[in-house]
Amino acid sequence: MTGETADPDPTEDPAEPARAEAAVGPEDAAGLLSELRQLRRNARSARHAYWFPLVLFGLLIVAAIPFYVPSKFGNGFDGGPDLPILGGFSGFVTQKGLGYYWLAALLLGVALTFWWYRRHARRIGVRTPSRGYLITVSAVTALALALPLLAWLGPLHFLNAVMPGDLIFRGTFPFVIIAIGLWVLAWAERSLALGVIALAYTGTALLASLYNIENVLFRLGWNPSSSQWRFTGLPNVLLPAFVLLAAGVGAFVVQRRQRTVA
Amino acid sequence: MSATEPDLPDRSNGYPTNGLDETVHQRHRLGILTITAEAQSADFGYLRDALELTPGNLSRHLTVLEEAGLIKVDKGYQGKRPRTWVSITSGGRSALAAELAALTELLRRHGAPQS
Repeated sequence: MTGETADPDPTEDPAEPARAEAAVGPEDAAGLLSELRQLRRNARSARHAYWFPLVLFGLLIVAAIPFYVPSKFGNGFDGGPDLPILGGFSGFVTQKGLGYYWLAALLLGVALTFWWYRRHARRIGVRTPSRGYLITVSAVTALALALPLLAWLGPLHFLNAVMPGDLIFRGTFPFVIIAIGLWVLAWAERSLALGVIALAYTGTALLASLYNIENVLFRLGWNPSSSQWRFTGLPNVLLPAFVLLAAGVGAFVVQRRQRTVA
Repeated sequence: MSATEPDLPDRSNGYPTNGLDETVHQRHRLGILTITAEAQSADFGYLRDALELTPGNLSRHLTVLEEAGLIKVDKGYQGKRPRTWVSITSGGRSALAAELAALTELLRRHGAPQS
């Protein structure tokens, strides 16, 4: 921070109020406010590090692809509805084990993201409050895990009323949990760009959870052979993954350029 | 003066500069509060580089702000390397907001552009 006021001399006691500076005019005030805005912008830019969780969760969705390809089309759900909210419901094209995959992937993803922000703070020197992210995503995941079990119990049967309905049928509710995490991160980073990414991703996550995107591809001319039918659930997985990976790579380039310039 | 409840100046009606707190208004201290208000906490090295201060000067400014209850200083180690993290208190946030409001009001009264 530079300006008309020189650094206090090391022998000067800064505990003495800088009385001369209190006599500010509008030009001084404008200059000071401008400097402070620049300091805030720099600090905010320095702590932006959201490319990592975007790429990480994009890769975790890609790694889940085998679970969304049934071994044989037509027999619906290959197994029982394990961890229903995380793993989907019977009748949709998911493999057994999807719920367990997402339980592990979400916990791994949130732990790595928390670690990443702490590492970034140590390197850059500015901390982003990431504990809220850790707590929110862990709590939503735990709720998604516990709600079906609690609702299954007789006295708590009324909890069925708060089950997120159609959102959980296709086994893509973890995409929504990832979206919730992105909103928390956008707030923690005070990042409008991440807010826009979170909005776009939330749109694709909801679309993937509520609609068979293959229908759009059919209308655009995709006509899979019977041997390819097993893969018709994949557009619902690939679209959210693409949004995260594309945004993550873009953010990486921008954030690296900003740090190089700084 | 309590460490948790800083003794903020009377910012009642009057000319905007009457609302300026001399502890906060010093530009480097205002810079420290601005940066720490933006983040959960900021490292001593980041503040030193961002404000282009010598370590000795930064330490003195931090002492002034800490004694006024406007910031909290946490000293620790990263491996064998000492690290000092500075975070703003709720009193510091209030003081910063009041200072920025006074400066903005000053500009408004003089019809000067605020950006």
